[in-house]
Amino acid sequence: MTNELPPTPKRSRPFRTRLLVALLSALTLLAAACAGSGGPAQQQATGTGEVPKDVSGTVRILMENVPDTDIVKAMVPEFNKDYPDVKVDIETLTYDQMRDKLVSSFQSPSPTYDLIIVDNPWMVDFANAKFLQPLDARIDGTPDYDAKDFFSPLTDITNVEGVHYGVPFYNYALGYLYNTDDLAQAKLPVPTSLDELVSTSKALKVGDRAGIAMQPQRGYKIFEEWGNWLFAAGGSIYGTDGKVSLNTPEAKRALQAYIDTYKTAAPANSLNWAFDEAFRSVSSGQAASMISYNWNLPALNAPGSGPSAGKYKLAPIPGGKQVLGSWSWAIPANSGASDAAWAFASWITSKPHDVARTEKGGAVIRQSTAKDPAVLNGPLGADYYKTVEQILGNASPLSQGPSGEEMIQAVGTELNEAVAGTKSVDDALAAAQAAAEKIQG
Amino acid sequence: MTTVKFHHGMVTPLVALFVGVVGFPLAYAGYLSTTDYKLTSHGTPNLVGADNYVATFGDGAFWHAFGTTALYVGVAVGLEVLIGLAIALALQKQRWARDLTRSMLLAPMFITPIAVGLIFRFLLNDQLGAIPQALKTLGVDYDFFGPGNALYTLAFIDVWQWTPFMVLLLLAGLESIPREPLDAARVDGASGWYVLRRVTLPLLAPVLVVAILLRCLDAMKVFEYVFATTRGGPGTETETLQYFIYQTGIQFFRLGSASSMAFVVLLVVLSVIVVAFRRMERAKQS
Repeated sequence: MTNELPPTPKRSRPFRTRLLVALLSALTLLAAACAGSGGPAQQQATGTGEVPKDVSGTVRILMENVPDTDIVKAMVPEFNKDYPDVKVDIETLTYDQMRDKLVSSFQSPSPTYDLIIVDNPWMVDFANAKFLQPLDARIDGTPDYDAKDFFSPLTDITNVEGVHYGVPFYNYALGYLYNTDDLAQAKLPVPTSLDELVSTSKALKVGDRAGIAMQPQRGYKIFEEWGNWLFAAGGSIYGTDGKVSLNTPEAKRALQAYIDTYKTAAPANSLNWAFDEAFRSVSSGQAASMISYNWNLPALNAPGSGPSAGKYKLAPIPGGKQVLGSWSWAIPANSGASDAAWAFASWITSKPHDVARTEKGGAVIRQSTAKDPAVLNGPLGADYYKTVEQILGNASPLSQGPSGEEMIQAVGTELNEAVAGTKSVDDALAAAQAAAEKIQG
Repeated sequence: MTTVKFHHGMVTPLVALFVGVVGFPLAYAGYLSTTDYKLTSHGTPNLVGADNYVATFGDGAFWHAFGTTALYVGVAVGLEVLIGLAIALALQKQRWARDLTRSMLLAPMFITPIAVGLIFRFLLNDQLGAIPQALKTLGVDYDFFGPGNALYTLAFIDVWQWTPFMVLLLLAGLESIPREPLDAARVDGASGWYVLRRVTLPLLAPVLVVAILLRCLDAMKVFEYVFATTRGGPGTETETLQYFIYQTGIQFFRLGSASSMAFVVLLVVLSVIVVAFRRMERAKQS
């Protein structure tokens, strides 16, 4: 008798198991295909402007990590004295991370944010995509709000086809920041024209110290800086017909002047520089001036910030017109706490609290605040606020209309090519004009 | 029967996870690539068929980014192989403080790439950075992020961070090579260079191919260094594929277009991998 093992059964996959695996796979893919394209189907009603003090809710806010945000955070306890049942939860991110998170929240059925700040290039796209609530009814219905007191260039940015989708949070209009000692040493006045800007920058270049720290990094930074040179040359980004108008004699003069200054007065090998590099160069005394946001003056003059702390002043851009940036408070269409969100936004931008915010160092948004004695007698001094008032009186954003971000990137790429020397000024401006026309029409 | 059912049952969760984690994103991206979907869209996007793919194939900027990425990968991975092999050969022969040396050499790999990008952005800054200052004492003035240089600087950053990965793989490969062929070659009077070229490298080839493939695939995805330093400039010199696709899909909202670009890249890379592996198989068989 032999011990023979039974034959190994033929290894064939049972039909049921294959079916189970296939079904599971199909179900998973079907669940994925059923995922909607996201986004609110239609915008919500705006609600009242006069929010009762007993309104309750949690307002989740996404803000940029800048000094103005720290000031807003510090004012939350005071807000809660008036609105004790509103919990304010502020998340801060760097600029580059913000928009992606905002768009994800807009698209989500359970949004992450109830109140947001919107940068000016995003406003039209967000409004056209119905991501934001119209706020006119709330603005008009809020007692003693006086929306006309805001600087009009800031409210213009929040206006999309006649509807306001935001209220100003802070401005980042650019100005000419300079070291007063260096300018005095060069025996020169503050430049008031494009030619003076070029000659002054060259004159301020002494030894290793650059005359002006520039920000020619491809994309947003160079366009934001060069836009001021364009205005100084008497040019504009948009023509009277509202169409992009970059291939003009003024633009050519501005770009030639910009390149000349970069080659002769800016720090060496700084083609890649953006804000951080330029700011550090100036604050460490390695450059005598820069074109940057007006509210950078306090940071440059902060005690201990550098060898020339306290010596810096702000002037309008030569020629008198400057590039304007502005952040605005806005309520997402899918906000989970619209009334509470408006309570906070209207409170922080109301006249008395705007004065308090500005006294603490916040950027100016109201005309009355810029004239308020408490603000003028504050640490920044009356001169600073008078200059900011001048700056905000004649300032324009880089982009109007939809696809602002894409237009800025396209134009900024061509400008950078011209500065790098890889394209001629004429070719760069022609390409910038063509790209901008393709994007914005 | 029961045993077979058990085997398949144990694999089912993995298959489901694979389908969910890999299959769903691929399928959804594939679907989006045939639509006009934008991140600002509402409702169901419109199907446009192959329009996005036609546009991608005809987009000069896309192929320019492709070429930039290919050059970056070639320079970075090429240097990583050479330097990584040299370091691995040296580490293999090291007798003292091996663990300490290996930990120090592998450290760059563990820093998050965006932090590495930011570090080098300021380290190579002409006014603030230590490296330009050191070069100036030697009379060298070099614009690391200037035209013609920026892409090679980014490749250098990649080499700094990822050569340790190459060292790790090659060292493991070297230590798994049998000693006998090497000893036999030395006994026969072969020089060190001959042993390296004719004995060590052929034996190391399978590990080398895998290491190069892994690094190439990883280097192709470069984004953080570009984002932290040049933003694709000067001009479009450092506009790599990932950065270009990110700008198209996320910054400019055109997710349908970006999906089609991603699939075109996938197609090209898969083709290269399939061809490469088939050639390896044929070489092995012959």
